[in-house]
Amino acid sequence: MNAFSAIGKRTPKVFGLAQVTGREQYSSDISVPGMLHARILRSPHPHAKVINIDTSPAESSGAVCITFKDVPQVKFNLRLVSTPETTYKDWKVLSREPVYYGEPIAAVAAETEEEAQRAMKLVEVEYQVLQPILDASEAIKPDSPTVHEEILLKDKQLTVENNIACKLEFADGDIEAGYKEADLVLERKYRSSRRYHAQLETKSVVCKPEPDGGVTLWSTTQTIHNSRILIHDVFGIPMHKINVKKIALGGSFGSSIHTNITALIAVALALKAKKPIRISLTREEDMHDHSSFSMLFRIKAGVKNDGTLTAGELEMLMDVGSHQIQAYPLLGCVFGWWASFYRWRNIRYTGKAVYTNKVPSCAMRGYGNPQTSWMVETFMDEIAEALHMDPIELKKKNYIGLGEVFWGQGPSVKSVIRSCGVEEMLNKGSTMIGWTRRHRPGEGEGVLRRGIGLGRGFHTSSAGAPLSGSVIDYSGATVKLNEDGTVDVVTALMDQGGGAYHAIAKIVAEELGVPAENVGMVQADTQTTVYDVCTHASRGIYAGGGAALNAAVEVKKKLLAYAARILEVNQDALKIKPDPELGQGIIYVEGFPNKRITVGEVVAHAWTKNWGSIAATVSYRPTAGPPHFTTFFVEVEVDIETGMVTPIRVVAGADVGTVVNPDLAAGQIQGGFAMGLSMTLLEDTPYNDRTGDLANRGMLVDYKLPASLDVPPLDNFQVFFADTYEPTGPFGAKGLGEGTYNPVAGAICNAIYNAIGIRFYELPITPERILAALKERRARKQEEAIATS
Amino acid sequence: MKLVQIDLILNGKPVKVLTKPNQTLLDLLHNDLRLTGTKKGCDRGDCGACTVQINGRAVNSCLVLAPQANGQQVTTIEGIGSYERLHPVQELFLDLDAIQCGYCIPGMIMCAKALLEENPNPTTDEVRSYISGNLCRCTGYLHQIAAVKQAAAAMQTKK
Repeated sequence: MNAFSAIGKRTPKVFGLAQVTGREQYSSDISVPGMLHARILRSPHPHAKVINIDTSPAESSGAVCITFKDVPQVKFNLRLVSTPETTYKDWKVLSREPVYYGEPIAAVAAETEEEAQRAMKLVEVEYQVLQPILDASEAIKPDSPTVHEEILLKDKQLTVENNIACKLEFADGDIEAGYKEADLVLERKYRSSRRYHAQLETKSVVCKPEPDGGVTLWSTTQTIHNSRILIHDVFGIPMHKINVKKIALGGSFGSSIHTNITALIAVALALKAKKPIRISLTREEDMHDHSSFSMLFRIKAGVKNDGTLTAGELEMLMDVGSHQIQAYPLLGCVFGWWASFYRWRNIRYTGKAVYTNKVPSCAMRGYGNPQTSWMVETFMDEIAEALHMDPIELKKKNYIGLGEVFWGQGPSVKSVIRSCGVEEMLNKGSTMIGWTRRHRPGEGEGVLRRGIGLGRGFHTSSAGAPLSGSVIDYSGATVKLNEDGTVDVVTALMDQGGGAYHAIAKIVAEELGVPAENVGMVQADTQTTVYDVCTHASRGIYAGGGAALNAAVEVKKKLLAYAARILEVNQDALKIKPDPELGQGIIYVEGFPNKRITVGEVVAHAWTKNWGSIAATVSYRPTAGPPHFTTFFVEVEVDIETGMVTPIRVVAGADVGTVVNPDLAAGQIQGGFAMGLSMTLLEDTPYNDRTGDLANRGMLVDYKLPASLDVPPLDNFQVFFADTYEPTGPFGAKGLGEGTYNPVAGAICNAIYNAIGIRFYELPITPERILAALKERRARKQEEAIATS
Repeated sequence: MKLVQIDLILNGKPVKVLTKPNQTLLDLLHNDLRLTGTKKGCDRGDCGACTVQINGRAVNSCLVLAPQANGQQVTTIEGIGSYERLHPVQELFLDLDAIQCGYCIPGMIMCAKALLEENPNPTTDEVRSYISGNLCRCTGYLHQIAAVKQAAAAMQTKK
């Protein structure tokens, strides 16, 4: 029973009008008087040394140029979410020794983009070409070419051995004893692909130099404060002179958790040119700018005949590309995701991150959880089959739920699960999809084979925890009342499309008792906001909303104190509720109709009587990162002549605690499904071994993404929410953004198995791979038939 | 390079503008004329974020050279509705939560508008097919398809 006035209700989308009328400004839309346009000169070799670089031909045409000679020789990591002690640094603003095809070498600014491009072509560079290494399994062997000789950990020099960027090991319990206890021990290997985020807005920045030696930036970032701190770290500009503006972000999916190197290049150019600089990457450059982490897994587990797990082991090798952005924390997160899925009981984990001369990898929606979920859920499907058990029963027996420890973003980020709707979703979802009606794997006739699969999963709501570990996670907000009763919410938290702003506005409205339309989200900047670490880890509602809620609580106290003074009543007797007709929050005393005043009247009174502003600024550290859980039941159809896989029906359950934005939440789930569909069937960025470049040269035409024809009809996509309440979340809410994506690949893979009886251990499962597997099975069956005849 | 003058009807108003002959219509609109609602997503006709209408027809403006717009009627997202009065497609996109990051939205709306002017009562399959050149990485398309269908119904009722 929803007793809320704003939470869970439909309200006008914050900034929605600007979005539908084309008035919403993104970084790539910003124009500043006197602005120059810049183009980046990029390495045409996957590994090389710059022997000589001559920019004079470009400069004589009037362009402004920078090379490694013009930038601070500081090494850094573009991402500042990890504490300094756990931050590995191997980046420079402009490289003298490019380690991937496309690495920035120089930048050229001119009056127009075309002039900058022409001038850039005049820059003469002499390279000494070095041997690259493109395969992670090869890179880790001794005698492989070295990507980096030395890097920094915080400010300590580290020699890189066998291209290992970083590693992590963890064990608990007695794994050999666990295996001995088991009736069945299963071991499998999996390989995920190197996806590209394909966010619609390419990375862009406008940097304006200020008269006091500072800079103002508009850039594609998920964290304005970390961008500011990094610019300070690299260029030495005092932070109060660096202003990073909040601006709409055209999607990100993790690719802007770190400050983009383009922003640092723009700062360097702006300082030299003493003019504003705009850089907007082409789509091809963007695909050379970032990718997700591809992973090789070896998973092993012991299980009893009754389905109880006795031991679990995971070995993971991940390809970080040529620079570390988020490698070390990811090792811990993959451990955390795997360890939090099921009670493996005795565990052992080894994670290794390896350098290759490829596009740098960074977090992509789910941060290792999509790959891990795919692996775990298909592995558990196999275990269930081996035990002649329904996968749902196996999951119910072993899943980590209420009251247990969740290792999300672990191992230093742990909290106890206080809300969990896993069983409710498994039960309801299985009924809705018709789980018991599914046929045995591969049983079917004709060209079109249908199958149903299940994948469950979760993700965090922030990286909060009771103790402070190696991950920085806190947020802040200012809430202030205006003289007409409307509200400003000022926060550094970004909204990359997930609806955090919309949720925060509702949370503040709910707490203050004002109509949701009266709450405005301010597009602020680093100068006017307190710190927020980043919009990632699905923390927008939980941490950002938590901060705003705490600020609203303070504001409400002050508001009621003023109202009590005006009405001459006891403050504790006052309540506030929104009046949609009046368009105001009404402060009243139950049973006393003459003791009533609007929020606007109180603020206006305080204004004219010089009592002072009603506002509060709060910094909020979440002490938990509660998992939001999801389940996906998917029915697919496999065409055994073409290898095409079509999604037919989806039943998705989500446990997000209190649902703040029901319609946006459904949209997140649909979007997560579409992304998961293409992760499973389409996405990878293979390399050309000869050139060391992306095989598709960064062209979107050769990075297939699902379009409107590829998703199931709305009637066949059912979404439901578990009935749960998270005690640590604002009004009981948890996050959602990544749990909508993580389980999809596993569900689809299990559905394909149910359809055609073949398991796949490598993504993407392209039509070619399906046809090859079908062909190979036919050949094997023919051989068997011949052998037995 | 010699600039050329082009005359076009832009969002219902006659406009004279000088342009480089090798500039795309997208760059003319977005950079020169500061109509930043039309977005660049790939500059190669693969994503649809730059969709505008030329004489009512949906086109990728990144694949049109600016001089080709000479003598034509060009409609951008800025020309179809505003705060006071939204086009039904804009309204339904808002009402049905068909927007997340918003970057694909102007192109998607322009494409949908062109569809409904060409085919006022499309089937769901016709909608799915028509907007299949507009990529969205956030929403999964389901609410957007529903919004276009409901906009069609709303526009029929108005008549």
